[in-house]
Amino acid sequence: MKFANEITKNILFWIQQKHWLIIIAILGTAMYQLPYPDGISHVGYRTLILSIIVISLIITEPVPLPAVALLIAVLEVAFHIAPPAEVAKTYMNDSVFFIMGSLMMAVAIVHQGLDTRLALGIIRLTGNKVKNIVLGFTCISALLSSFIGEHTVVAMMLPVGLSLVRNCGKNKPIPNLTALILFSIAYGSTVGSIGTPSGGARNAIMLEYWRTITESGLTLSYFQWIIMAYPMVIIGMLSTTFLLQLAFKPEFNRMDTAIRRLKIQVAQKGEITGNEFLTILIFGIVFLCWIFLNERYGLGIIAIGGAFLYMATGLVEWKQVSQNTNWGVILLFAGAISLGVQMKNTGTALWIGNSLMSLFSPLIDQFTMIPYMLNIFLTMFLSNIMSSSGTVAVLGPITLSMGGDPAYMGMTTAISSAFGYFSAIAAPACMIIYSSGLVKMTDFLKAGWRMAIVSTITLLLIYKFYWPLVIGFTNFK
Amino acid sequence: MKFLIALKNKADESKNILEIGCKIAEGFSADLTICYVGKPSKALIEGDVNLARKTLSEWNIHHPGLEVLEWAFNILKEKGFAQDSEFNIENLVEDKGRIRMVLPKTTNYQIRLVLREGELLSELNKEVKHGEFDIAIIGSPRRKRMTNKITQFLDTSIFFVKNFKPDWNYKILLCVDDSRATKRAVILSTRISKQFDAGIISLTVSKTSFFGKGYRNAHVWAERYLKRVGIPFESKLLSGNPVDVFVGESGEDHIIIMGKAKGNEILKFIMGSKPIHTAQRANCPVLLVN
Repeated sequence: MKFANEITKNILFWIQQKHWLIIIAILGTAMYQLPYPDGISHVGYRTLILSIIVISLIITEPVPLPAVALLIAVLEVAFHIAPPAEVAKTYMNDSVFFIMGSLMMAVAIVHQGLDTRLALGIIRLTGNKVKNIVLGFTCISALLSSFIGEHTVVAMMLPVGLSLVRNCGKNKPIPNLTALILFSIAYGSTVGSIGTPSGGARNAIMLEYWRTITESGLTLSYFQWIIMAYPMVIIGMLSTTFLLQLAFKPEFNRMDTAIRRLKIQVAQKGEITGNEFLTILIFGIVFLCWIFLNERYGLGIIAIGGAFLYMATGLVEWKQVSQNTNWGVILLFAGAISLGVQMKNTGTALWIGNSLMSLFSPLIDQFTMIPYMLNIFLTMFLSNIMSSSGTVAVLGPITLSMGGDPAYMGMTTAISSAFGYFSAIAAPACMIIYSSGLVKMTDFLKAGWRMAIVSTITLLLIYKFYWPLVIGFTNFK
Repeated sequence: MKFLIALKNKADESKNILEIGCKIAEGFSADLTICYVGKPSKALIEGDVNLARKTLSEWNIHHPGLEVLEWAFNILKEKGFAQDSEFNIENLVEDKGRIRMVLPKTTNYQIRLVLREGELLSELNKEVKHGEFDIAIIGSPRRKRMTNKITQFLDTSIFFVKNFKPDWNYKILLCVDDSRATKRAVILSTRISKQFDAGIISLTVSKTSFFGKGYRNAHVWAERYLKRVGIPFESKLLSGNPVDVFVGESGEDHIIIMGKAKGNEILKFIMGSKPIHTAQRANCPVLLVN
């Protein structure tokens, strides 16, 4: 009796821990048994079921993410969506190399302790006025994250920001100033990450979707991406600075003590070392290769070349790289891209896109912007509950089939995936500042709604007036 | 014996949990583990968060959970439960998916600080299984369902610290019935009564005016035991809805001690049980004995 009770208790515990897995499995099985909707093939419908399962598993996380990536491969074959050889082929491509290389380079760069240099640089630039410090943090976070990736910048900038807040040494609480400084880094790096393909994994994923999913196989070089996206970064940097100061009125206007203490903290570092110089030099080489050689070698091969250089020069050990790289996420993105390709091959993406658009067909005839607006809202919504990169991975194939120009739609998806301003889970910086307990969930809403409105309007204006002007500089058409 | 105290933040409520937990542990000369369970990052950004935390720790900005543990350590020091030493981050050891620090042994019991990250129930369950604790001391969950889950799935006695006022003189309300855990509850209540210098009210409640053999035997056994130990007690046999009576009799100035329910696990999962409902509804600390 006791043994039976023990087993029942263990089963109940498993059920309550994995209830989402059970619900998703039941939902998937029920959908599999239901009659297929019109306009979609049997294989396409199974791909749709798989997509729903994958999105639900990523959002609810009842199993580890790498397990979801494995499930994608298993079900693609089990549902007869694609043969095993094709599934294996779609799992590895230049974008996956790029994500892998970027994450490995981030470990190498962060390992060198360049954050103290950065702190000194910021202090010299901004002085001790709060207004200037916020502008400095936002702009530097944005500019750096455009090139070396959001995750690297967050790892280097947050210690500087948090130290500054802690060094304030005032007896009274300073919630607004704290929020102002921390959000300037979090939102600054998010805004900047859309500026170049190396700003985030989601940009690389979109490049892959353009190449494999669109009919004509669209391609965009590193420099062409900058032309398309950088105005958004510049406007974003300035509007972020302004809007944050509107949302959080600082308790005082100067941070003399904090700056002085930070200077003392970082002054012991001394002159720039050989390793630090080499770290910057290698990244410089990688960056130039991304601009000038990416069409020949691909962004991914260049990125893993950079990771190789960091390890070959002894700047980072393989052990450190292997311990600090999130291999599970790389595997998940590989799986998500594979699923994206199958969504296109089986017509699922087109069917979802058409179904979504048919809901708005009377409006679309009058307003051509509707697909783009819907794209922005869908992406923004999902990135607030699933993180930005995951959103592009699962939503990319659908938005590219929603009827608008695939080039513009893809760019809109990539950019609006950075609009996860409302929640702590959209970006690593937001998660860290939230878990520090220094900012509240309501602070995200307080600053987020302003940011979301301004970012959406800016993006729509850029789509309407700027992209048509510069489209000639790109090989999109 | 081994006790586990789970903390959720640095608020006054946590301070009270820590204080009552240490006081009880002292009475039992029990080893004490203080555990903080941090919220997990979304798995998609977990790697990036960890990378940032690495640089933050180089700037002496540690995981927020460590700050809670440091705060707990300082309270222990202040109350004389821990040795007068510094909280040294270097003493932290990563072990089996958690970070722990063993404090120097001061009296006859050991104190450990443990940091975990993940889903609360799952992490507490792992910690209880790992440490084989006799009592887990935690704040009362806001959601009633969580009280149900904690009671059912943590395989140890659970002490829900609700509305505890350190400067109040608490009495002990010992709920006696025919459950297997009642005897253990009676024994534990005498030790706690000595520690808090509190009298015991032994209460047996039947739904009707008739008291079955099991209830009567349990009631008599409890009376005999309390007499033998020499603790001042009052004995009551009341009829009515047991949960209503326990909650009504306890008010805010009692510590309720009762055995965990026997019976079907599926029914407990869906419907709850007397002890679970009491823990959910009472306005005072409740100890459910395994």
